Amino acid sequence: MLTPSIDRRSFLAGAAASALLAPKLVAAAQGKKTQRVVLVAFAGGVRTRETFGTPGNVPNLLALAKEGVLYKRVKSSNLGHYGASLSLFTGVAEPRGIRENGRGEEPTVFEYVRKGLGLPASEVWIATSGGAQQTNYSYSVNSEYGARFGANTVDGDGLFNAEFKSIVNSLGRPKPLDEREAQLLARMKAAVGGGDARKALNSPESAAQVERFILEELTGGTADLRGPNAADAKAIRVARNLLVLFKPRLVAIVLQNADIAHTSFNGYVDVVRQNDAALGDLMRAIRADAELRESTAVLVCPEFGRDRDLNSRRGLDHGDGSEDLEYVSAVAWGPDFARDRIVEDDVRAVDLCPTVCELLGAGAPRVKASRLPRLFA
Amino acid sequence: MHEDKQPSEEWRAAPDEPATPQGDGLTRASPARPLGPAELRTASCDLLGRPPLRAEREAWLGKARHELLEAWVGGLEFWQNWLEEQLYYFFLIDNFRPESEGVLALPAELAAGRLDVREATQRIALSPSFDQRNPGADTFVTVVMEQLAGMTVQKNVRELEIGKSIYDGANGVFLGRPGKRQADIIEIAVRHRAFAQTFVAREYARFFGAPPQAKALAAWVQRMHAAPAEYAALVREWLLSPEWEARVRARLPMSNRLFARALYVDLLDRLPDAEEARRMRSALDGMSDSGPLRSVLARILIDSGSVNLPDKRAIADPRRWIWEQFRVLLGRDASEDELNAFVEAFAAPECRPATVLYALLTHPQYQSY
Repeated sequence: MLTPSIDRRSFLAGAAASALLAPKLVAAAQGKKTQRVVLVAFAGGVRTRETFGTPGNVPNLLALAKEGVLYKRVKSSNLGHYGASLSLFTGVAEPRGIRENGRGEEPTVFEYVRKGLGLPASEVWIATSGGAQQTNYSYSVNSEYGARFGANTVDGDGLFNAEFKSIVNSLGRPKPLDEREAQLLARMKAAVGGGDARKALNSPESAAQVERFILEELTGGTADLRGPNAADAKAIRVARNLLVLFKPRLVAIVLQNADIAHTSFNGYVDVVRQNDAALGDLMRAIRADAELRESTAVLVCPEFGRDRDLNSRRGLDHGDGSEDLEYVSAVAWGPDFARDRIVEDDVRAVDLCPTVCELLGAGAPRVKASRLPRLFA
Repeated sequence: MHEDKQPSEEWRAAPDEPATPQGDGLTRASPARPLGPAELRTASCDLLGRPPLRAEREAWLGKARHELLEAWVGGLEFWQNWLEEQLYYFFLIDNFRPESEGVLALPAELAAGRLDVREATQRIALSPSFDQRNPGADTFVTVVMEQLAGMTVQKNVRELEIGKSIYDGANGVFLGRPGKRQADIIEIAVRHRAFAQTFVAREYARFFGAPPQAKALAAWVQRMHAAPAEYAALVREWLLSPEWEARVRARLPMSNRLFARALYVDLLDRLPDAEEARRMRSALDGMSDSGPLRSVLARILIDSGSVNLPDKRAIADPRRWIWEQFRVLLGRDASEDELNAFVEAFAAPECRPATVLYALLTHPQYQSY
């Protein structure tokens, strides 16, 4: 879908118009204030020792926990980064190959929410940092769900990097079309017969919105972020901008840079600290917006931890079966949640999926998990 | 731009046309399995990872498919494309792309027949990039088991633990063969029958977009396990099969890498340089639905001033020009309805040649082949 003209003013106006035209927000779940959810897979393998075990590393997560619920023993599964993160979204712990570039069998939280609430793709997003493989989180191969209920995935580092920006800068932006030419173009496109081999995730309208978002972000500052957590920081920045502009119902963020721990413990700690700071920026944006502040729930959870002991490279692998690897800490913050509550009981990482579905009022019939206990005020 | 043969000339050589008397009074039979625009575009994308260049279209349209396969399968560009596909499978891309001479030399050595696909895969897995991509015993052995042998490690925990011990320098029997160092794990895995099974199934799916029939797979696996150099012959057989012809008709979605390369070939009649291709592919890979970004990229390139677009007034026969664009960009003839709609729109003063290209290149059908 092509847009006649793209500039920041019309983009913002378009986003606002889209928000006005969107179906009126239904009460997510009866009697709850939560209308939208930010689900952060604080992934890459992050132990509790370096988060809540060392509070100085994560002042922003600590602040969230103080205003929300801290789960100190979240059981995860060592299914590789890909499989373990996917299980956060499916509510089912299923083995997946570490470098497997294929979709899961079980529907994701994004599919449950889009199908259950009848939402367009522009209402459900994932911002990732791990490249091609992570786009598979968007939707499953389940025949009752699939691409038509998938989330729009944007990999911050893949798209918003200085190299790609340089291509756009050197070739130039698309020329705007006047209204008549846009009409003729639409007529010709509509005349092209034959099937579409792709399984389109976006309708023409939401595809046009995504096009506008891409062009706006490419000229913004996201591509210029640097540092050891640059990919993660871009994912968080993309999510922040999506939230502020479109106020979608569900935004997931998948981080990955902490996996530098295999070769550098110090580098890993640095990533944890910087990602905490980036989450602080995200929270400031949410708190600064009256609508978001009153209606947004934020859940943060690593996919698994890391080994207890350093390896021969003075790094941390993930494969020793220790409690450091298999139990992580998670935080839930939102208008309906208890404040300053610490849950010492065991819960499971897969419980996040049904929790998000319940918050938004969607069913999750295939999950093998339960809503997080002792969550609400 | 994009001037194929006149419709009348083209139809003379089209696959469905009967043998016709030519000007010299002699009857010439059509070649067996002649290449139409769809077969040529698909074969080129399958074998070389890009659509045909203009000169290739002129050279091969109407010729026999087996002649094209003889010329292209096993050549340097075929193996360059094969290597890129393998590196992507192992996610040895971007910062993890191997730069060692051993890996970079693989296409030339494969083309010269000095290596087979098993040895080439082994060399990829022995590269420092593979080790860096999969750091630590657990990750390394897991990836070898999953990607080379197609095993689910959670169901083969004992083999995983043995493999991890070998990785750390201990003696052990991994997948039925003894080993005592990291390189042995790869050697054992690629020489296991499971490698041939995984490799053939994966390659078949790449060409056909579907898994092979079990019986046929078993025969191909036996052949590949005994003689991995048979791979090129197998590819030729696959592309001469009725199943491949059905796949051409059905069309498959383009990968992001193929889309980036196709855009440059179709618009500029050249491949993007390695960096241009990598940046575009990487950006497209970052989206679960890359369609909107593909549209943006197509428009950016068309509007960049690099595309040799004809002046509208110079297009004497718009119907023919549009017909050519369909053949080049979509790999098929336009229907009468399509031609009528495009010609009518093109007659409007606001419709430019670029508008026609926008319509075809941003249409979902362009993203399949």
